[in-house]
Amino acid sequence: MESRRKRRRSQFYKWGLYVLLLLACTVLQTVPGFLQFGQAKPVFLLPLALAVAVWEDEFSGALFGAVCGLMWDYTAGRTVGLLALALMMLSFGVSVASQLYLKLTQTNFALVTAGALALVLCSDFLFYYAMPGYSNMLERFVGYVPLTVLMSAVLSVPLYRAVRWTSETFKIDNGVI
Amino acid sequence: MKDFFETWKFRILIAVAVFLAGLMAYAAANGRLTAAPQELLSVAVAPFQKVASLVGGGVSSVWEKYTSIDETMEENEALRAENAELRRQLVDYDQLKAENEAFKNLAGIQEDNPEMSFVSAFVIGRDALDAFGGFTLDKGTAHGVERGDTVIDDEGQLLGTVIEADLTSCRVLTILHPSFNAAGVVSRTRDNGILTGDAAYAAKGQCVFTDLSRESMASVGDEIITTGLGGVYPPDILVGRIVSIEPEASGTSVIAVIQPDADVLGVKQAFIITDY
Repeated sequence: MESRRKRRRSQFYKWGLYVLLLLACTVLQTVPGFLQFGQAKPVFLLPLALAVAVWEDEFSGALFGAVCGLMWDYTAGRTVGLLALALMMLSFGVSVASQLYLKLTQTNFALVTAGALALVLCSDFLFYYAMPGYSNMLERFVGYVPLTVLMSAVLSVPLYRAVRWTSETFKIDNGVI
Repeated sequence: MKDFFETWKFRILIAVAVFLAGLMAYAAANGRLTAAPQELLSVAVAPFQKVASLVGGGVSSVWEKYTSIDETMEENEALRAENAELRRQLVDYDQLKAENEAFKNLAGIQEDNPEMSFVSAFVIGRDALDAFGGFTLDKGTAHGVERGDTVIDDEGQLLGTVIEADLTSCRVLTILHPSFNAAGVVSRTRDNGILTGDAAYAAKGQCVFTDLSRESMASVGDEIITTGLGGVYPPDILVGRIVSIEPEASGTSVIAVIQPDADVLGVKQAFIITDY
């Protein structure tokens, strides 16, 4: 059983590291030309939000997801709140699913990330590309969505491991066995 | 899990969701993209983006030098410190060199347009979610940048317009975006039209010049410039050259496909016209 002061410090370090990861992911996601193949480029913020959601509880995960979403809204030039709401709900859902149904493995996480990202990208494509009636929809979809989902799912594994390490290293020992 | 829906935590999540939905409604109603929480986030992240884009873009050779220095570091501890210092200086040098070149170009543009005020800026972010090449610049309202300012490259060619300005960064809507609209003219024939983006050409880095009269004598290779009509964009800004002319769907006018002179999808440095 740790003292309250020690637990508070441990929590501070843990969330500090999560915030640093958030900044790093934002930067990596927006560095011009970084890991860009044609129109596709990996997304880092969504896998990070989901990783935190599965290693923390649904409440903290959902709030962190909302912050990640706000950051993504800003970098992608989307109306504030749109991706924040989406990531908040996805983080909540994935956290609950991981507690109740999912076995936590890297492969499972990569698959869940791929599914969630496909959902977000498809809805974004629907609202920002298909509904305004832009031409060349199929070309954009094929050139962007599948490769982005694939790259992001692969790169979600190191993020998952980083979050797992952070969560386990700064885990609170409450004395319960 | 069932209990969770009756806890204060769940109520907080609902309150956050309502708050986000409210922000979204407010932003949409006011034609804005960001709100106060994001502006705070953008101020926090802009310096990191700036460093990352500098390291990732302008000084990509630093990584190669870094790895080779790594081997040396293992052999000689003294050289390690010296090499690290040299690397830091190299990054500073590359940044100064890039800025110096930019200011040389700015001096040229300023000579041609003495009435204009410019702010030099670097591209610090591009998100692939934007299919039309929108990007973030490292200058914001603290540097005099405002929404609606015109953005050009270091040779004075049109890139787009500022659609959102935060304290230390701003977001640019490029000429490839279908929402972009500017009055333009064919330099040789003086035929008027509307410069805008088209999803069919955006991936190739091209835009279109619409509402061009069917009787126009404009041809492939002609240069398009802005007219300054409407007061949004300054006059005589270079846009690009006509690469093809196609009939418009209704048949009442023709559309010219434009290859912008500026490298809209790959530009690393830009100038924001804050006054003209």
